[in-house]
Amino acid sequence: MRMELQATAQEVMRAVEALQEFGRAEQVPDRIMHGLALALEECGCNIVTHALGKDARKKFRVGVERQTGRILIELRDCGPEFDLTGFSRPSAPAADDDAPGGWGIQIVRRYTDAIRYRREGDENVLLLIKHLDEPSTAEIKF
Amino acid sequence: MPLVIQIQPGNSPLTAQTATVRLSGSLDTSTAPELETQLTALLAGPIKELVFDLAQLTFLSSAGLRVFASARKQLRERGGLASFTNLQPQIQEVFDIIASLPGIAIFKDINELDRYLAARQKAHRHQI
Repeated sequence: MRMELQATAQEVMRAVEALQEFGRAEQVPDRIMHGLALALEECGCNIVTHALGKDARKKFRVGVERQTGRILIELRDCGPEFDLTGFSRPSAPAADDDAPGGWGIQIVRRYTDAIRYRREGDENVLLLIKHLDEPSTAEIKF
Repeated sequence: MPLVIQIQPGNSPLTAQTATVRLSGSLDTSTAPELETQLTALLAGPIKELVFDLAQLTFLSSAGLRVFASARKQLRERGGLASFTNLQPQIQEVFDIIASLPGIAIFKDINELDRYLAARQKAHRHQI
């Protein structure tokens, strides 16, 4: 599944709905798909808000692929270089915040098994990996 | 998925400062602004206690949590309280991940919440 999306909240949710449809077609358990939908929503929202400044003229891309025993979600945007994985886990509960990498990254980490980031040309490339043959509470590895 | 918001103000002198907010559907980056708008209008009044009934809420992201946190903050500043009840397991899990909403009370169902509010109102009457 590949989508090119405008930098709006509505487009983020269009990608989330497409992911959920993909999961149904692939017969991925609902619990896993709910977590991946949340992770995609959080990452997409982060791109729209912080990388692309909610400028609907700008676009980002989402790809979803099922490989043996795992699902990969790739997000690409042309915003400033930003490595979401660089945010450390908070030692204390987060306060009210609207900063990149706040509550959202905690949710992404909870529902994925690995997060990879690379800068490719002028693009941020974020890869979310979820193993299907492991319990969703598996230790997250970086 | 859309978000349906139903706001029911308290209908007796005892509950005049209380309102119940029932949410159905998805509270996410595209729907959170509408909830924020409605809560801003609601909190412009004398409300001191908000009860969020989440029985029909199926999706909650950090965008929604931020709206809850903002309401919590406003209520706390006026000595009020935000309560949550009937959380589905996947919604409870998101609250658990964040685990950062002190000042918010979570109840397993309306009965438990009613008992809590009755005790609060009883204590309030004793203070008057």
